[in-house]
Amino acid sequence: MSDVIELGFPVNADLVVLARMTAATIASRSGFDVEEVEDLRLAVDELCISLVAGGKDGRLDLRFVRDHDQVEVVCTYHPANRSDGTWSRDEALLGLSGRILDALVDEHGVEDRGNHRKAWLRKRRVRQRA
Amino acid sequence: MEETCTISEEARDEHVVVSVRGEVDVDSAPLLREALEKAISGRSPLLVVDLLEVTFVDSTALGVLIGAFKLCRTEGLAMHLALVEPRILKIFEITELTDLFSIFPTVEEAVRGRVTGDVGDDRSDHPV
Repeated sequence: MSDVIELGFPVNADLVVLARMTAATIASRSGFDVEEVEDLRLAVDELCISLVAGGKDGRLDLRFVRDHDQVEVVCTYHPANRSDGTWSRDEALLGLSGRILDALVDEHGVEDRGNHRKAWLRKRRVRQRA
Repeated sequence: MEETCTISEEARDEHVVVSVRGEVDVDSAPLLREALEKAISGRSPLLVVDLLEVTFVDSTALGVLIGAFKLCRTEGLAMHLALVEPRILKIFEITELTDLFSIFPTVEEAVRGRVTGDVGDDRSDHPV
């Protein structure tokens, strides 16, 4: 049985904290240890900012799926107007994001779906619940 | 609890210390960029960035630090980091930025790193 938590907000830099806080809360309530909680908190931040990178408008929708030993996060970016150049991305920063995600989560990826872009990650809990 | 980012600057003799507290993310990174560029414009031989009380950094924050490091190098200045928190150091290690930056466990040692010359600043071969 999975729990699904959904969160959506306009693309504003000061709102990305909502994604981090939600990720940390879900990981903590799912029995992840402190280090794993911090890993997921940063990974979700990177997922959001690498997806939006350079965008200043539109909407981010996050879907957290909690299973017995893992959390999956799917982040979808709906730009307000793709022709505005909101998809331009700094390759160097994306490289850093990629390295961080590689190190902190078990799997991650990006899918381009035409009018929106989707990034996802999965992180499994290492420590077993008591 | 998420902490707001605060930044202060202190000039001491021949160096300047920029102290950062709280979370440096995509929202607060522009503040850090502005503070570091202002400090560099003063042309002190050594810029120390005190990250001892930073609780979160993401790739945006790292990008700002890399940009400041490159600007220092262009201007012929040195830039050292004071950083000891394992969670933050882990991000520098993951991104191999420990190979780029001179990192010290205290501000005093970051300053002395300049005085004693025991730190190599020629790290221009880092891929970033």
